[in-house]
Amino acid sequence: MPIVAIAYFLFLFAPVLLLALGSFGESWSNTLLPTGFTWRWYEEVAADPSFRRAFVTSLQIVGITCVLNVLVGLPLAYAIQVGAKGGVRLAARLVTLLPVAVPDLVLAFGFILVFSSDQLPWLGSFWLLAAGHLVLTLPYTVTALVADMEQLRLDEYEHAAATLGASFFARIRDIVFPLLGPSLVSSMLTVAALSIGEFQLSNLIAGFLSRPYPVVLLQAFYGATGFACAATIVLLLLAAIASLASSLTSRLSNNKKAAAA
Amino acid sequence: MTLKYENVSFTYPGATTGIFDISLEIGKGELLAIIGASGSGKSTILKLLAGFVSPDRGRIVIDDKDVSALSPEARRLGVVFQNYALFPHMRLWENVAYPLKVRGVAKGERQSRALDMLGRVGMRNRADDLPAALSGGQQQRVALARALVFDPQGLLLDEPLSALDASLRVEMRDEILRVQRASGIATLLVTHDQEEALSIADKVAVMRDGRLVQIGTPRELYETPANAYVAGFVGQSNLWQGKVRSHGVVESEIGSFACDTQGRSPGDAVTVFVRPERVLPVADSEPKSAGGELPASHFSGVVDADRYLGPIRRIDLKVSGGLIRLETHLRDAVTSVRIPADAIRLLPAN
Repeated sequence: MPIVAIAYFLFLFAPVLLLALGSFGESWSNTLLPTGFTWRWYEEVAADPSFRRAFVTSLQIVGITCVLNVLVGLPLAYAIQVGAKGGVRLAARLVTLLPVAVPDLVLAFGFILVFSSDQLPWLGSFWLLAAGHLVLTLPYTVTALVADMEQLRLDEYEHAAATLGASFFARIRDIVFPLLGPSLVSSMLTVAALSIGEFQLSNLIAGFLSRPYPVVLLQAFYGATGFACAATIVLLLLAAIASLASSLTSRLSNNKKAAAA
Repeated sequence: MTLKYENVSFTYPGATTGIFDISLEIGKGELLAIIGASGSGKSTILKLLAGFVSPDRGRIVIDDKDVSALSPEARRLGVVFQNYALFPHMRLWENVAYPLKVRGVAKGERQSRALDMLGRVGMRNRADDLPAALSGGQQQRVALARALVFDPQGLLLDEPLSALDASLRVEMRDEILRVQRASGIATLLVTHDQEEALSIADKVAVMRDGRLVQIGTPRELYETPANAYVAGFVGQSNLWQGKVRSHGVVESEIGSFACDTQGRSPGDAVTVFVRPERVLPVADSEPKSAGGELPASHFSGVVDADRYLGPIRRIDLKVSGGLIRLETHLRDAVTSVRIPADAIRLLPAN
């Protein structure tokens, strides 16, 4: 078993390690490992206007996707948890999960077909890209929030708050948000990690001026190896921070759920 | 303040279960317990009063005001839930102060009122703790304090003791009764534990399949149950099918009984009902005529089960045609029993 684990670990991390090495190597051609040491590639990535623009676009898309996930996902999860029973509940869950089951490519072709028409000529726009990221990430938010609401026994607390005189808004403010806070933060960080690395859909529907970082990154591999490695490491770092923060906050929310149970 | 159900019916969407034509009244300071098997509709009764569901027909009236269409937050009723539902992210005093907070009471005042209320249930010294640090019984006290702090129009207790250990249950039962009496509030208690209901309620209502079978004082329910279902549900009982043979004599599956048959004619089918503690063991030497002026029904048999329960023994005596359950504090062997006529009640036949 340890051998399998080590092999898997190597398989997973060898590419990352090589990328990291390559990003600091002066030259890397026809050798197993790069030679020399330089910061040059990072400086070049930072100075490249298309990479700078893509980096900012990606952060904007991530931010907007997270905000939209809260605005759409939280009420949706709440409605499923509180209002939907039996078949309706199952149907709602299926519909929200559908984007996970459907390949990104199919979704992207759908977007291209619908939004390149004269009536809806939004293909290539920033907001359509944000909408695409929302569709892709929403299932994760809704599924996580519904599960957490169930585990936290949110409905019981809400019933109790209602009998104590709390209005709907007071319940959302005093009960739902505080109890669901850590789950919400953890869900948003997961959404951020997914959105940062999203390539398939973005590559097909992003306009030239609204290309997110992963799409521009592809271009880097046509140039110098060191530059491509440095550009990739930047993306990896962002995704790693989001994932790490997500798993840390989900531990926090698990503690809360244990306290509620 | 009185709480009233007026001909209330409710069925769950897409189901046939619910409650049908229920009329009940709980007076000021009165504690009404609703008991019944699971699925009998007793929880629905509570949900209707709390406002979690609205009646299909009939009215829910609180203090002469129809509240059927009001939301739970507008009804001003304190509810203690089965799992207490204390907000896990709030300290105990914040939990108790919450109903005051949503009513706009200033922080200083709501804190002092919450602490005062916590003091009344003996939890003041834990005011700064979170609910997770508390035992079930302690959470129960805090839930009771929270339900009463805003001077509600009524108190609703939903299986409040079912999550507690048996030893703690009796203690908490007395505690609930003490606090309820002190606040003089109309209270509805929903429970499946008939002992709990009999011991603290002023009146007990027995539910079956969404209908009210009988309502009365604990004593009425125990001693004069309306039918075999109530007799069997409330306390231990002997129930035998029989027929009135002649005036003062009933023939049953286990033999004949001498009892009051007033109001029934020979040939009427009846259920003979006797509480186990009213069945008296007979010493072999005792003459058959013992029993004072009223005639007694005598039976002999062999012991089928003899359960030692400390102060008493609960014995199943196998007699020809059936079983007699009896409870006795005597330690001697039992082979014969007599049932005094005044211990026997005739109920409608099943």
